[in-house]
Amino acid sequence: MSKAILIDTTRCTACRGCQVGCKQWHNLPANRTYQMGTHQNPPDLNPFNFKLVRFNEHEQKDGTVVWNFFPDQCRHCVTPICKDVADMAVPGAIIQQPETGIVLFTEKTALLSPEDVKAVTDACPYNIPRYNPQTRLLVKCDMCVDRVNAGLPPICVQTCPTGCMVFGNREEILDLARKRLDYARQRHPKAFLCDAEDVNVIFLLAEDKKYYYKYASFA
Amino acid sequence: MNCNRRDFLKLAGASAVCLTLGQLGFNLDEAFAYAGKLKIEGAKEFISICPFCAVCCQVIAYVKDGRLVSVEGDPDFPVNQGSLCAKGAGLMGMYTGKPRLMKPLYRAPYSDKWEEKDWDWTLDQIARRIKDDRDKNFVARNADGKTVNRLENIFMMGTSHASNEECALMHQALRSLGIVYMDHQART
Amino acid sequence: MTNHWIDIKNADAVLIMGSNAAEHHPVCFKWVMKAKDNGACIMHVDPKFSRTSARCDFHVPLRSGTDIAFLGGMINYILNTGTWFADYVLNYTNASFIVGEGYSFDNGLFSGYDPARRAYDRKKWDFERGPDGEPLQDMSLRHERCVFNLLKKHYSRYTLDKVSAVTGVPPEMLLRVYKTFCATGKPDKAGTILYALGWTQHTVGAQNIRASAIIQLLLGNIGNAGGGINALRGEPNVQGSTDHALLYDNLPGYLPLPRADWQTLADFNSVNTPATALKKSINWSVNRPKYFTSLLKGWFGKEATPENEYCYSLLPKGDDGANYSYLEMMEKANNGEMKGGIIFGVNPMGSFPDVNKMRPALDKLDWLVCAELHHSETTDNWRRPGVDPKSVKTEVFLLPSAHRIEKAGSISNSGRWILWFDKAVEPEGEARNFADIFVPLLNRIRNMYKMDGGVFPDPLLKLNWTEKFDPEEWARRINGFFLKDTKVGDKKYRAGDLVPSFVNLKDDGTTSSLNWLYTGSYTQEDGNKAKRRNPEQTPMQAKIGLYPNWSWCWPVNRRILYNRASVNAEGQPYNPQKPVIEWDGSKWVGDVPDGPWPPMALDEGKLPFIMNSDGYGRLYGDILLDGPFPEHYEPVETPVSHHPFSDQLRSPVFRFFTSDMNKFAAAADERYPIVLTTYGMTEHWCGGGETRHVPDLLEAEPQLYIEMSHQLADEKGIKNGDGVLIESARGKVEAIAMVTVRLRPLKVMGKTIHLVGMPFAWGWTTPMCGDSTNRLTLTACDPNTSIPELKACCVNVSKCEKLTEIDRPKKDQK
Repeated sequence: MSKAILIDTTRCTACRGCQVGCKQWHNLPANRTYQMGTHQNPPDLNPFNFKLVRFNEHEQKDGTVVWNFFPDQCRHCVTPICKDVADMAVPGAIIQQPETGIVLFTEKTALLSPEDVKAVTDACPYNIPRYNPQTRLLVKCDMCVDRVNAGLPPICVQTCPTGCMVFGNREEILDLARKRLDYARQRHPKAFLCDAEDVNVIFLLAEDKKYYYKYASFA
Repeated sequence: MNCNRRDFLKLAGASAVCLTLGQLGFNLDEAFAYAGKLKIEGAKEFISICPFCAVCCQVIAYVKDGRLVSVEGDPDFPVNQGSLCAKGAGLMGMYTGKPRLMKPLYRAPYSDKWEEKDWDWTLDQIARRIKDDRDKNFVARNADGKTVNRLENIFMMGTSHASNEECALMHQALRSLGIVYMDHQART
Repeated sequence: MTNHWIDIKNADAVLIMGSNAAEHHPVCFKWVMKAKDNGACIMHVDPKFSRTSARCDFHVPLRSGTDIAFLGGMINYILNTGTWFADYVLNYTNASFIVGEGYSFDNGLFSGYDPARRAYDRKKWDFERGPDGEPLQDMSLRHERCVFNLLKKHYSRYTLDKVSAVTGVPPEMLLRVYKTFCATGKPDKAGTILYALGWTQHTVGAQNIRASAIIQLLLGNIGNAGGGINALRGEPNVQGSTDHALLYDNLPGYLPLPRADWQTLADFNSVNTPATALKKSINWSVNRPKYFTSLLKGWFGKEATPENEYCYSLLPKGDDGANYSYLEMMEKANNGEMKGGIIFGVNPMGSFPDVNKMRPALDKLDWLVCAELHHSETTDNWRRPGVDPKSVKTEVFLLPSAHRIEKAGSISNSGRWILWFDKAVEPEGEARNFADIFVPLLNRIRNMYKMDGGVFPDPLLKLNWTEKFDPEEWARRINGFFLKDTKVGDKKYRAGDLVPSFVNLKDDGTTSSLNWLYTGSYTQEDGNKAKRRNPEQTPMQAKIGLYPNWSWCWPVNRRILYNRASVNAEGQPYNPQKPVIEWDGSKWVGDVPDGPWPPMALDEGKLPFIMNSDGYGRLYGDILLDGPFPEHYEPVETPVSHHPFSDQLRSPVFRFFTSDMNKFAAAADERYPIVLTTYGMTEHWCGGGETRHVPDLLEAEPQLYIEMSHQLADEKGIKNGDGVLIESARGKVEAIAMVTVRLRPLKVMGKTIHLVGMPFAWGWTTPMCGDSTNRLTLTACDPNTSIPELKACCVNVSKCEKLTEIDRPKKDQK
């Protein structure tokens, strides 16, 4: 049965527990970063950050301020395009765990040529895969497959204080996502679910994706 | 609420034979070595508390061979229910981060460097300084001639990082020396 | 907190003011969001739109330092619109008390002001009293000098227009908050106020909180579920460290430090044991002598006898009115009058105000002992930038200390829950916990006195001390022991048994306790209750998430303080949907009530505010040094030269150091026209001493920034990400510009006021991330608490072309 995560951004406080929890669980080293006029740091996903909270603020016509938070990560597509592309070059470089639907980049990604890497990266509608030149591996969120297989939620979900992130079986999560959408629309009439039919990490946004991040949603 | 969580983990852990490549990263050997293993599997669990804000989220510290391998929120604790913020989620980094102070250090007057010292020497020296100052500068009576029995030229600053037991003990020790200049973060 | 973290979910309205809860207490937002899910309106009133504001129903920006004006306007609104909870106000507050003729208020000053001493004679504010000293009451609330009418008169001046002019908040926004929050003045509604250092760090800090107390008493929001005044509290065990009083002015359990004027134990007790002439008042503090004697027995053991007044004479005594707070200690150090300092687990050279004063002051010590996890701006002060170590005389002993996961013990959360933590791993290297430093250190000193003698050795030698620290043993000492065989009801306790409750503590030397509030936390019957992990609740308790069997909380496991005010005179809950306690005809059920006595309507019934000698909630009070009612005054550094409430620009009694006076900018000083407010942040802990050493946190927030509006940035020619130089009358700081819509200029009395905000999480020991923001802040402080005004001072900003304290990515370097 596929596993899925709902990320209800209307509940996110950008505490970044998920971002840091992910790094700690995966033993990822820290990047040297700089303050560049935003809280968003590191500036983008990179080989050492599989999860990143993006910050986006704007002022509405009535003068009220909106500050959106987008805890970005791999969507674990139901039919992962990255896998299709990689399979043409190196079968097994990208796999999908049948029991959970989790999309995994394996050590065989090191066998992908630079052109293949570019093809995989370009294929992703969410701009997720990152290439580590030292190891020549392509890397991204693995939905804490080790934890999931042991009956534990992914660390980002476990860490989330406000219920912004919820993990479970796909059907339950879809059901919850629809309920949360109905609720969110009471305050945010333009709220929508991002590509819910196609992905296993489903974002609920309160307004147009341009106020979050250009790759927030495909549709 | 979630009393069975850890029992469940034990069961699940035993059957966690899978093609996990959970530690995918930079080092291929490492990735293979970890494959199929949950890093907290078989670890001893200790209840601790995040050392930052006063929400006091409970955490589980997972320990293997005397070393911390992971820290997570305690799902059973009714207040945080397993969740943590960035600081709590980063607790492991207190270990794996930059080097901690490992030994007592001494900086002599006008010196430009630290010297490593042992605890005995260090505590002897501090005790000597405190006693000498106390003997020399103890104020038995104030300007009005009233008995006040206080030590006015040594101060203590800190700390809300101390446990209740440490606070009680430190307070007792400080008043026995006659210290009145004592304060800590509660006033900032 | 009067209530506790989970209880926030019971609120119908949540006013977050003086706090940025989502950023500084992130996990508590779990419960704020639960309240929101249940239909509560969440409001954030704060100078800056923050991550808290992002999740609130709405945010109201106000000028830093104008909270009393804002809250005064709300009091006026309540009294004008009749949204106060009449039954509660009449029966449970001192609204009906008649104030004596000595009280007056004129043009910003209360009666009794002595300009020479910059202090009030608070006796002028006393109530009119009857023959037995009882305060006179007018239950009809008609008397012109009854508290209710004086309150009305005082706050009638806080009109929407004036409040708006001072705070910079448009009247319609004021009304939106007032209407929404005051809708909780109904018996079955609750509103909670969450505050933190945004209220305390002002020269009128204590009065900010008084103002909120008045509002909550008028609305009947104290004692109920989802109500209360909830100090979120700053640090990891700041509740416990305050309870155990690592503070100059207190002994453990909120007993005062003895004073020179109280030469004997009898003197101490007579001054500190309040009396009441009101029959319905419990006046709990009448028990103080029991708690104090038990503390002395705990400290001095068998040496403490009735004959020697339980070693009272061995305690240090402060001079009457003397202040030994940290600002005073640093002033004394600056004057060369401090010889030695001990600084454990805090980084004052980053987090004290005006560190440009503090850093050289520390150089004047002969010796300094620090216990820390890492090097900090304090431990390494002697080699700070711009200083030649060869010019600094101070000897420094730097002790490696253990952190939480490396030690065992208990801490107290803001809801007063006492929580036990295990030792998971051994301390790194040779690190030790604080107690394992203090115990051998004190034993060395004790031995020296034993062997060599010295000045006044008795308090050291007679101490009931230990050779080795065992946290369980000290948890038992805190709880306290029977020192002789004792019978409580039918139950027999032997000498050495743990005391089950503070009601069993005695003033005759037969019990000990290091903190009466914690008595009951560790008992013969149930062991160490801080370790309890039992989620069971009765259905009534589960309705409000009381969790009475999880850990233990002071006092006596009462989860919601003053809960007798949540019921009517018959003991029935004002809100039957969310009852805290309820009288079932013979006993109370639900939470542990404020005493076992029956409801008010019965003969034996008692008033709910048992810690106030009169038993009533205080709408008016003579406790604070700066007035019986909160009054708006400008911060010490203010961008305006006058305000519409009076001619008294600043608090007439704020504390300051004469030596620092020349470092305060004049009112409306054109050189420093911008208001600076400082704060912590989610990713770093306070001054960042620990978290800058956690690589993932430094990655997320690497360097010092200054948040400013687009309008100010345009005016100054600053772009997002530019270097900025910030200057106050005390110092200069470099930071990176974060230009944002989340800050906006405010219209204050017709003038445009800009506000900037800066965290203070960085310091020079972490290379090129920026140095302390507190080089800008000032030492003026609240007269009651000595907490400095870190939340408001005045600065100017300019673009900084060449940064020296903060590095830039290579391609950006010019």
